[in-house]
Amino acid sequence: MSVIAALLLIIPFAAALAASAAPARAAQAISAVAGLASFGLVLALIPDASGRGATYFGFVRVDALSVVFLLATSFLYAAVAVYSIGYLRNGRDQEAFFTGYVRRFCLGLNLFAWSMLAAPLMSNLALLWVAVEVTTVISALLVAIEGTDHAAEAAWKYILIASAGLSLALLGTIFMYYAGAQVLGQHYSMAFAPLLHAAGHLPVTPVRMAFVLAVLGFGTKVGLFPVHTWLPDAHSEAPTPVSALLSGSLLAVSFYAILRYYQVAVGALGPRFPRDVLLVFGVASLLLAALYLLDQRDYKRLLAYSSVEHMGILAIGVSFGAPVALAGVLLHVLAHAAAKGNAFMGSGVLLRKFGSKEISAVRGGLDLLPWSGPLFLAAILALCAMPPFGIFRSEFEIVTGGLAASRNLPAVILVVGVTVAFLGLALAANRMLLTPARQVNPVRQADLARQAAPAHLTRGEPSAWMVVPLAVGLVALLVLGLHPPGELTGLLARAVAQLGSPA
Amino acid sequence: MMLPVQAPGVFTGGANVIAVLILLAEFGMFRQALLRDQVRLYMAQSALISVLAVIVAAARHIPDLYVLAAVSAALKVVTIPLLLRRLLKETDPAGAPAGGADIAGSGGLGLASTILLAIVVAAFGFFSASRLGIRAVAAPITALSVSVSVVLVAFVLMIHRRDVASQAIGLFSLENGISLAALVVAASLPLILEVALLFDLLLAVVVFGLLIRQHHGRARSMSTADLTRLRG
Amino acid sequence: MSAALPIPVIQLFQVLTIALAAPGISGVIAKVEARLQGRRGPRVLQPYYDLAKLFRKEALAPEGASWVFLAAPLAAFTCYLTVPLLIPVLTTYGLPLGYMGDILGGGFILSLASFLVAVAALETSSPYAQLGASRAKTFAAITEPVVLFVVFTVGLITGTDLPYALAATVRSSAGQIIRPAHVLAAAALFMVILYETGRIPVETHTGTNEFGMIEEARPFEHSGPYFALLRWGSAAKQLILYTILINVFVAPWGLAASAQAGAVLLAIVALLAKACVLGVVVATIDNSFAKLRLFKITEFASAAFLLAVLGVFTLYLGGG
Repeated sequence: MSVIAALLLIIPFAAALAASAAPARAAQAISAVAGLASFGLVLALIPDASGRGATYFGFVRVDALSVVFLLATSFLYAAVAVYSIGYLRNGRDQEAFFTGYVRRFCLGLNLFAWSMLAAPLMSNLALLWVAVEVTTVISALLVAIEGTDHAAEAAWKYILIASAGLSLALLGTIFMYYAGAQVLGQHYSMAFAPLLHAAGHLPVTPVRMAFVLAVLGFGTKVGLFPVHTWLPDAHSEAPTPVSALLSGSLLAVSFYAILRYYQVAVGALGPRFPRDVLLVFGVASLLLAALYLLDQRDYKRLLAYSSVEHMGILAIGVSFGAPVALAGVLLHVLAHAAAKGNAFMGSGVLLRKFGSKEISAVRGGLDLLPWSGPLFLAAILALCAMPPFGIFRSEFEIVTGGLAASRNLPAVILVVGVTVAFLGLALAANRMLLTPARQVNPVRQADLARQAAPAHLTRGEPSAWMVVPLAVGLVALLVLGLHPPGELTGLLARAVAQLGSPA
Repeated sequence: MMLPVQAPGVFTGGANVIAVLILLAEFGMFRQALLRDQVRLYMAQSALISVLAVIVAAARHIPDLYVLAAVSAALKVVTIPLLLRRLLKETDPAGAPAGGADIAGSGGLGLASTILLAIVVAAFGFFSASRLGIRAVAAPITALSVSVSVVLVAFVLMIHRRDVASQAIGLFSLENGISLAALVVAASLPLILEVALLFDLLLAVVVFGLLIRQHHGRARSMSTADLTRLRG
Repeated sequence: MSAALPIPVIQLFQVLTIALAAPGISGVIAKVEARLQGRRGPRVLQPYYDLAKLFRKEALAPEGASWVFLAAPLAAFTCYLTVPLLIPVLTTYGLPLGYMGDILGGGFILSLASFLVAVAALETSSPYAQLGASRAKTFAAITEPVVLFVVFTVGLITGTDLPYALAATVRSSAGQIIRPAHVLAAAALFMVILYETGRIPVETHTGTNEFGMIEEARPFEHSGPYFALLRWGSAAKQLILYTILINVFVAPWGLAASAQAGAVLLAIVALLAKACVLGVVVATIDNSFAKLRLFKITEFASAAFLLAVLGVFTLYLGGG
């Protein structure tokens, strides 16, 4: 397992370096290979990942909880790397410019995936913070890579707000260090396992402070209300493969950081206070996102608000505390990664086809896009928690857990919020996909003038490379919803056991 | 009749004075309109933190802190201001003096009202931090309250400022506040982790510089006035 | 000489030292400033000659000014001579009349004097005098609270509000000097002194620059002996404030611990020497900085306020 972990850390980094010097096609191929290899490596980690966890090289730790998040990240890494072969192929003219752009893009993509794979592998809280900060700076550059006015604005807001939030998280880390130092002595590294062992003896007030600061700070990166304000901008202005990674993986990795603090907090403070904090943030995020979903004009922003909604659902699920709810939360992480990745990748096809991010500019998706149209529709339905997709199963488990723990009101609020969100998403999808194709709104002529030819009016896929990851994602969603493989269920059970009880 | 307040020892008093000077540097940033002066204030603030680290290391016998103070000074007093100054020179508006000083925009509230708000916020930080019941490990406990105040005042500074470079410098001074808090409660954090944190800060500064250059390249100014297109 | 002086004599010496030495300190500051600028400058005793000349001149009063106009300089000067009785000028122990008022009372008396001068200036219908008076009182709205906060700091540190007690506390250990509350209060008081004595960066002490004059404008309409009293009064106020800063906050050493004549003489010399050193510092600041524009003086006063407030905060946390 140590070899696998080491390879997981080395391969994306090496791919980034190689891609930055290679010709365009080779760079994309390198990225795709690295993504698929990483996914394969994580799959190999599943059988041995235990609740106890194993530490290698002094700073790498692999346990069931981290493998769940590694799975979400690596799956999207592979899908997005393949997808971007098709995405980056269209719409650019000059060869030299294109090569430079592709090199920068692949460098950024691989580094981003490397940092997101490194974060769950870190064995102590300080390095975890460093890894999350690295993801922030790299993703900010990726958000700005398109170079448009909107992208630059989104990138600036993102990095400023996220860095400010992470500074609060650093303050929380310091307080947690102080709490641990009272029990473990002054010179301990903030390694997670000893801290969790000693959780029962930690002084209460510093841990409380640390937990709240961690939820607020890392919650900035998760997209919890009220520190989510950067999220719709950044996720909608980034290039589509990056948006998929941001929504599907980065939010999850930041949530992983909160979960680690949650584990220690539950051990030190008892379950009530941490769960109440998470409940408040979760409900606020869910309700706000559901309301905003009803009034969106830009479909990528729509999907971004859907991410806020799902992160709220994750927080609510953890606050329920029942084992079935925790299992639902972890399954939700995986299913949301697949579904949101699919949704963003589908939206990228729409963008390439129709040339605009406005919902009003997209008409007749199902007619014009024979493959990605239905796949995108399926992804939207999956996000709305339709059976038989994975998100239905996970949300069902979360609600069951809530009712089992007698948290009836929050469970009801969850269902209401999801329903409102369904309304928003379904309305938009209906407008985009299920209406007949027609001449686009004359107002958007300016957008058309920027693209090459009116290819949006003809029926056909922009690129096959963009369809395959969508199809694979759909299969993953179906598998997760209908019959998760036994290995996966075992992994989830071990991770739930970790969350439910100390060490 | 009130009893006289016990005098703190020389170490405690001196360390507290330095901590308060750091807070005053933070307030000073409100006053400075020129970016060049803000960078100088940031240098002064970082230098004060290194000095405090050395004092704490000498008084509490923590040898790691000497190395940390040196690395922190090399990074935050030398390297980062150098990067910032180079950035300011490059984004020099045409015809301005060669010091690369772009006048920072000011925010919605007037300066006096903002400083009053900052004083209230600092007071809140002071007194809330003192209620935490944390025992001071290395630097004295008043420094922790000061550090929380620095963080909160840095937030007010970032909100008040209307140009990207000042917001970035505000964020870096926020990080200074957190370093001060670390000196109080986490002075014995293993050196390797502290150095990792510092290099992470350097990386963040580089990325900030890239984004600021990009912003300036398009907007021809540092102002955030047009960063309002994305709404809803 | 080891004769013990009677206590009332020592008290008289306190008042006399301030009254007689005040113009001399102004002269020293003017001389040092000129030297720093590369000039020879006026002689150190010039202010005495100026006062003598002014006392011989004719006094005029504007039409419509009432008795307040004529009484104010005398009343203000009397106030300025009362304060040395309350603060530790020469001795480390409290003198009998020193318990007449605490440091808060001393602050109030100084404000009263300033108020009387301002009222007298308003009495005239001269635009410059009224200008100076209104400006002075506007900024006083910020600087008076600063003085109050400084006084609170004194009170919190010593548990009393007698300036003698604070001086003793400061002398007692090095830790008392370096604590943040003390340093901050001293810094805030220094900034207030710069404002009250009309120095850079608040106003140019030499000459009457109508865009910036505050202190200089108030005695604009007085002449002759009244003008001399006002001048003398401001010099006395300057020395009193210096004395408070030096003998209570910054350097409370050299004060007479007994009633011996030699000790008292030494105390007088020490006080004047320390005041001269402070005067050199003020002169250096005069030559190093530019005058602040009028509306920026509120920022200056707000900075002093900030320092004073922070001093009180750090005291409340028990560690400052």
